[in-house]
Amino acid sequence: MSTINVKVAAVEEVTPLIKHFRLESEDGADLPPFSGGSHIVVTMDAEGRTYRNPYSLMGSPSDTRAYHISVRRQESSRGGSVFMHERVQVGMRLKITHPVNLFSLSKLAHKHILIAGGIGITPFMSQIEDLKAVDADYELHYAFRSYEQAAFVNELEEKCEGKLYCYADSQNERIDLTELLRHQPLGTHVYVCGPSPMVVAVLETARNLGWPENNIHHEEFSAPPVGEPFKVQLARSGIEVEVPAEMSMLEAIEEAGVAADSLCRGGVCGRCELTVLETDGGIQHHDHYLSDSEKVSCRSIMPCVSRTKGKRLVVDL
Amino acid sequence: MERGYWIKSKPIYTSLTWHEKATSHLVLATGIGGMAVLKLFQQMHPTQPVTVLYGKYGQIELDYSDTLKSIIQDDLHLYKFEEDLLKKLQVLLRDATMGLRIYVAGSEGFIWDVVAAAKPFGIQESEIMKEQVDTLARTVYCVHCKTITKYVTTNITCCNGCERMLFVRDHFSRNLGAYMGLMVDAESPGELPAIEEIYP
Repeated sequence: MSTINVKVAAVEEVTPLIKHFRLESEDGADLPPFSGGSHIVVTMDAEGRTYRNPYSLMGSPSDTRAYHISVRRQESSRGGSVFMHERVQVGMRLKITHPVNLFSLSKLAHKHILIAGGIGITPFMSQIEDLKAVDADYELHYAFRSYEQAAFVNELEEKCEGKLYCYADSQNERIDLTELLRHQPLGTHVYVCGPSPMVVAVLETARNLGWPENNIHHEEFSAPPVGEPFKVQLARSGIEVEVPAEMSMLEAIEEAGVAADSLCRGGVCGRCELTVLETDGGIQHHDHYLSDSEKVSCRSIMPCVSRTKGKRLVVDL
Repeated sequence: MERGYWIKSKPIYTSLTWHEKATSHLVLATGIGGMAVLKLFQQMHPTQPVTVLYGKYGQIELDYSDTLKSIIQDDLHLYKFEEDLLKKLQVLLRDATMGLRIYVAGSEGFIWDVVAAAKPFGIQESEIMKEQVDTLARTVYCVHCKTITKYVTTNITCCNGCERMLFVRDHFSRNLGAYMGLMVDAESPGELPAIEEIYP
């Protein structure tokens, strides 16, 4: 995948847990244009291993002089977010991918309901710019732990002009999803980005109320879940790769020097799908791409997030 | 139709079944489509509110109005003209909310008239459950003069606008609700294949 060389132009601590990075191209040229909801994958070369983490672009799509990303320090980080927090400083060089949008706004929608949980606010920051540009009807519902820990609330209040609704867990404020989704006019689309339980709750509520699949959009940047170590055999290349507990199968394959295809690295897009030839313990599917019946069949695996429960897996790669 | 050959744009219709998950239901049917509605009401009745719009128009079509009146305890509206039915549809959609599920049964022409009426309300055609009944007659769009000719039952038809002889393709436009019609004798004027009624 072609990469762009960027330098870190600014680093700002937004909250004790969230840092905001401004990235500019190394040669000072404009960066490729993007649409609201796009993300990039940042490659980090730490000693002994490479991290590739996806981050939403949160700047205005009309400004291509710089890309803006925000990184939350993950409590159970496998290393990527800690690297971004502790090691990345102004002037440092990073490699990023071209922007990809797997969470784009529907142009057919008459109204947009955006639901964010915590750091899941980032893709909406650029989407709001797109919505404002066409004067679209929208509401932003932003849930977080507390006002002290919430990022960009003031900035959003100013941008959204009364269309922002905040919910602080510390003050026992919760989004009543059924109430919110029950009374929306025809042609409304709902978008959710946040922690997994929140995404699942929004998807289930909308589906139970009879919302068509086309009107429901979600994005989830969860780190690949940690599991038991196992061995994966790449049948075509004849290579055996050890997958450690805290590394995803995709990362381990890449580390072994095999250029596996991938895009979102979050189990959503389906690009990294591999055919399973053999498994001795079944698959732990963590993706949102395969259908339930495909998951049961164990014929495919999304190596960016999924693992095996067994000791050994053979894939067609 | 040739074996193994399929144009993806050709719509596939199903038989109507209630969506289990919904906040309300709207059923639209004309003519013999009334039978599809009766079959729908043989299934377990949804717990959510149901509205039915039925039109009996066309002289020779079967009329299910009386049967529907005696069977359907829900909000039922009967019409003589399609325009009146579609007007009522628009009134209902104006105040409807997400969770309304729409079901249509009738000729292909009626199905896509409903799709076109619902589109300005942000309803995508894939959300509408469709059952084709009665005739296979096609609505044909002349790719040369853009005229739409309705109720075409033959493989080759004369365009209502430019009078070219058009071959009726399987290529279907969801936007226009019509099959593409291409001039059949452009290269050898007047030489026409046999005209047959294949969409009775």
